Amino acid sequence: MTDLAALSARALAKAIRDKKVSSVEATRESIDRLRACHELTHCIITLEADEALAAAKAADAAIASGKDQGPLAGVPLAHKDMFDRKGKIPSWGAKIRADKPAREDATAIARYKSAGALQIAALHLTEFAYGPTGHNYVLGHARNPWDPTRITGGSSGGTAASVAYGAIPAGLGSDTGGSLRVPAACCGVTSIKPTWGRISRAGARPLAPQLDTVGFIARHVEDLALMLGILAGPDPRDPSASTLPVPDYVARLDDPVQGLRVGVDAKVVGEAHADVQAMVEQVLAILGKLGLKRAPCAFPDWQTLDHLVQLVQLPDAAAAHGAYLRTRPDDYGPQVRSRLEVGHYIPAVDHLTALRARGTYVQRTLDETFKGIDIAILPILADPLPTIAELDVGGGPKVQAAMGRVVKYTRPINYLGLPTLTLPVPRGKGLPNGIQLIGRPFAEAQLLAIGQAYQREVPPEIARPL
Amino acid sequence: MATAPESAATKTAADEPASYLDMPSERRTLAKAHVATLSATAAKVALALPIGADVDDFRRVLAAEAKP
Repeated sequence: MTDLAALSARALAKAIRDKKVSSVEATRESIDRLRACHELTHCIITLEADEALAAAKAADAAIASGKDQGPLAGVPLAHKDMFDRKGKIPSWGAKIRADKPAREDATAIARYKSAGALQIAALHLTEFAYGPTGHNYVLGHARNPWDPTRITGGSSGGTAASVAYGAIPAGLGSDTGGSLRVPAACCGVTSIKPTWGRISRAGARPLAPQLDTVGFIARHVEDLALMLGILAGPDPRDPSASTLPVPDYVARLDDPVQGLRVGVDAKVVGEAHADVQAMVEQVLAILGKLGLKRAPCAFPDWQTLDHLVQLVQLPDAAAAHGAYLRTRPDDYGPQVRSRLEVGHYIPAVDHLTALRARGTYVQRTLDETFKGIDIAILPILADPLPTIAELDVGGGPKVQAAMGRVVKYTRPINYLGLPTLTLPVPRGKGLPNGIQLIGRPFAEAQLLAIGQAYQREVPPEIARPL
Repeated sequence: MATAPESAATKTAADEPASYLDMPSERRTLAKAHVATLSATAAKVALALPIGADVDDFRRVLAAEAKP
């Protein structure tokens, strides 16, 4: 019997379309596994079993009658609970919630529905998607499916845990400073943070709109390709959504990768823990086996990038919370509140300086860092997978430094807006971790082709507690 | 009649940014210290920034350099 949990969304869609398995069967199994995952990881905010099974029944009926329901017809998915869905109130991972149900679906949700996908649950996130560890001082912390004493990473921790556990093949998340990449790395799965503007953010709870990016977490790179093709593209509801043509990412998964040059910034990578540096070398060896060539590169001063992204993010987030900070300040958890507070101290001139400098820094990165390379590689976490206790700093004096260390390698890339693919490092018998491959603007197809080749060497795994 | 300049000692929470947040003084101190570090970087960046640099440059560069 096929292990449905091990299938990609694309393979499961085909099995449903070919009537080898029904959507109802797949959805039941997914719900069961999600419940078990929740016991271990606290990944669910709302389980919508009855609704999902009714939708699965309808999908089976449509398929039986020969109607084309889209490339994800009948496939059960679940997403980070920060996307509007008509008639529902998203939790945002917070005590503070909207007063009224959403009047329409977020564009990402609507496009999933048009592709035939089902949603079985709304998943855990850090409060307001503002935190990279999976700690949530309002709803409870998420726990890693490989080792429940460890962080899932955040803020899309529920999606990463559910995907790693095999409860769903893929799900939506968002990334403002690392919120797709950090949880994907912590849980040993893949993610794509597309170029800023590649996917509409309409109906997604804003954190820092100048940086916010919608993307996916999946076990299989081919699912990232399929879903990016479904969700990318212009959207009248989000003027920042790019109007550039959307490539056929699935068709380009087998693009040749031999001879592509991978840039390594030895100085920046050298600031990571020795074990993490060894992981980067391990991945480079695998990429070398695939025919990619290693080359030196140098990013603009990393600390400057890290400061510039904070000068954008901190006041952007504080402003996005302006109403609730004034009316319900005591309903925030300590960590998010303390981080939002800092944004009020950034001078407007410094915020605008960081925004005015952004184009210059992107151009410099492309002209200089990427001059002799096609992609760059960086760690995601600076350290081996931390425990929940180690990073349980609440809103106390260590919060900026502790969170800054977790997103050291991720948030500067949000400033540059470049696309980034997360790949899990071969785990052996140890804990998961991941690296990121960074591409030129809108070069997601190239990143995905490399990821597809990589997974032939390092196949996706399903998490079993160690 | 001239008024005495405000001293740090007489400055109250109401004079601070976002006074509605009712932040404890130690958190305000930490926030200011963190922001001072970031502002020092902003000052250095501002000195080297072309006069014509614009907030829209970011989107323009991403689109112009697109490699789909």
